[in-house]
Amino acid sequence: MPQPIIKVENLQKSYGGKKAVNGISFEVEKGEIFGILGPNGAGKTTTLEMIEAVREIDGGSAAIDGIDVASNPYKIRTIIGVQPQSPAFQDKTRLTELIELFGAAYGERVDARKFLDEVSLSEKADSYVENLSGGQKQRLSIAAALVHSPKVLFMDEPTTGLDPQARINLWNLVKQVQKRGITVILTTHYMEEAESLCHRVAIMDNGEIKALDTPQKLVKNLLAKGFKKEQHVEQANLEDVFLALTGKGLRS
Amino acid sequence: MKWVWTAIIVVVVLRIGMRLRNRSASDKTTPVRVKNRKPLTGWRRKLFTVYIFAKLNTRRFFRDRLALFFGILFPLIFLFVFGSISKGGNNGVSFHVALINNSHSSFSQQFIKETESSKLFKVDDTITTMAQAKDKMNKSQIDGTIVLPADFGQPKDGHPQGQAQVYYSPNNDQAGMALVSVLQQEFKSLNSKFVNVHEPFSVAGVQTKQKSLTAFDYTFSGLLGFSILGAGIFGPINVFPELKKQGILRRFHTTPIRVWQYFLSTMISQAITGLVAIAVMFVAAMTVFHLHVVGNYLEIAIFLVFSIVMILGIGLAVGGWARNERQAAPLGNIIVFPMMFLSGVFFPRFLMPEWLQGITNYLPMSPVVDGARQLITEGKSLADIGSQLLIMAVWMVIIYIIAFRVFRWE
Repeated sequence: MPQPIIKVENLQKSYGGKKAVNGISFEVEKGEIFGILGPNGAGKTTTLEMIEAVREIDGGSAAIDGIDVASNPYKIRTIIGVQPQSPAFQDKTRLTELIELFGAAYGERVDARKFLDEVSLSEKADSYVENLSGGQKQRLSIAAALVHSPKVLFMDEPTTGLDPQARINLWNLVKQVQKRGITVILTTHYMEEAESLCHRVAIMDNGEIKALDTPQKLVKNLLAKGFKKEQHVEQANLEDVFLALTGKGLRS
Repeated sequence: MKWVWTAIIVVVVLRIGMRLRNRSASDKTTPVRVKNRKPLTGWRRKLFTVYIFAKLNTRRFFRDRLALFFGILFPLIFLFVFGSISKGGNNGVSFHVALINNSHSSFSQQFIKETESSKLFKVDDTITTMAQAKDKMNKSQIDGTIVLPADFGQPKDGHPQGQAQVYYSPNNDQAGMALVSVLQQEFKSLNSKFVNVHEPFSVAGVQTKQKSLTAFDYTFSGLLGFSILGAGIFGPINVFPELKKQGILRRFHTTPIRVWQYFLSTMISQAITGLVAIAVMFVAAMTVFHLHVVGNYLEIAIFLVFSIVMILGIGLAVGGWARNERQAAPLGNIIVFPMMFLSGVFFPRFLMPEWLQGITNYLPMSPVVDGARQLITEGKSLADIGSQLLIMAVWMVIIYIIAFRVFRWE
């Protein structure tokens, strides 16, 4: 029986009277990839930031690995890794130096090349960060978030703005991270991403969780209610065409 | 001898900068050197964070052309501009005058020739009429006009005689009166050639041989202040809003790094880059403008590091508080510009009325400029400038309390 590593109870946040997060509760199990889905403004990012201890919690509580977030923000930060929505780094910094910098932020001496190798950025190790593509920046950001061997990795819309090759590559990377025993919690508004990546998803809207289950169960439940979609018998879609023509190899 | 030492220090500092800049080339050969080290604990772990942040910040400065320009070249340009001005004024007094000669006597021709070749007068040749001269005097472009009347230099009683007239405008009466007395002196020596006069009383000017402050000494300590202000305040108020906008600071906020670690690393890198910039200014001032440094270099360096860190606190407070550049820029200007004009950065404070000197004495920048001048050119030691150090220490505490209170990561 898997144990919950993240426990969220009745979490609340309001901005100027408007409830951005309206009393949500959920648990994330150790070692799973947990997705939070929802349209823009649903409260996904705010939820993540409260659990990451970077945004103040207005009501309710969140705990990671048994540690209360609100009362131990610094302890929390040492056991989580955070991948922000659009990763940005100080310019004129080499990739190796950036990993070194993040290691230092956690008080760790790290072997930068090993971490860059894990996200296949060895070739770019001596480049400046401003010379990376969007996908490479996302990978670098993941490497930077893992320098201290965290227990949980938070990813906020990690594939937004990436081309299909970079997105597939990132999915594989996330799966590798999960195989190492790190719990991953991510937000997205791509359904296929949630379907192929997440073990369980929570669907949010207007600051509330509308449904929470495995993607397969959620689909089954909908079908059980008598939902019918126009039948498609095609065995491929436009993305398959795109990938067949351009290949799955990652572009720099 | 001191010149040599400065040159050596500058070369060493620049070499260190270049080495830091190119460091990762040597990293390649030893990629796994960190593997076997034990994890750091306690204070060493916290200071390791500071060390790496400071090291990489310093490296970035030397890689960034824009930072190098504003940090090193920009103050240097000011040094050359202001240095040339104060140097020009230092080569003795001279008067800009117009000469209008209405006389045809050979004596007046001779007088004009001598005036034009004299170092005391700079004669404006373009002026030939009184109207032109009056126009230029009203614009204060010349100090006065010497007019020789038609009968000037005509012989009478056996020798040439005449009365020259000096015109000057009321907005320039000090220079005008000085011009009159200088001419009188000239005429006096002329008179003695024609008439033998015995003078029972006379005055002789004696220059003291003591080391005195030149205008450049004031200019130089002011420009040091300018460099410290620019890097310490304009640096952070430009950089921090940008770091916040891109979410770079917020990213650091998701790590366990503390504000004091971030501040301390910034102070260290600022002190290093600031000292490099100032060392370059010293070399330029000593070689080109013959700045004579009488102070102890170690004490000067300690004082300057203290100044850099104290002033940086203002930048950290403003930049750390501001959510964006629209908040940072106006507040930064409100703080910086009064200090530039009231703290002796652009002109010495002794030119101010006494009550204003009394007030401006307590601005954070004033003890920096005054202290730097006393250490560098007046031969004082740190022990002699205790009052300045005290004012700076008080400001340091106030500034950093504010900076820590108002800092936000996003």
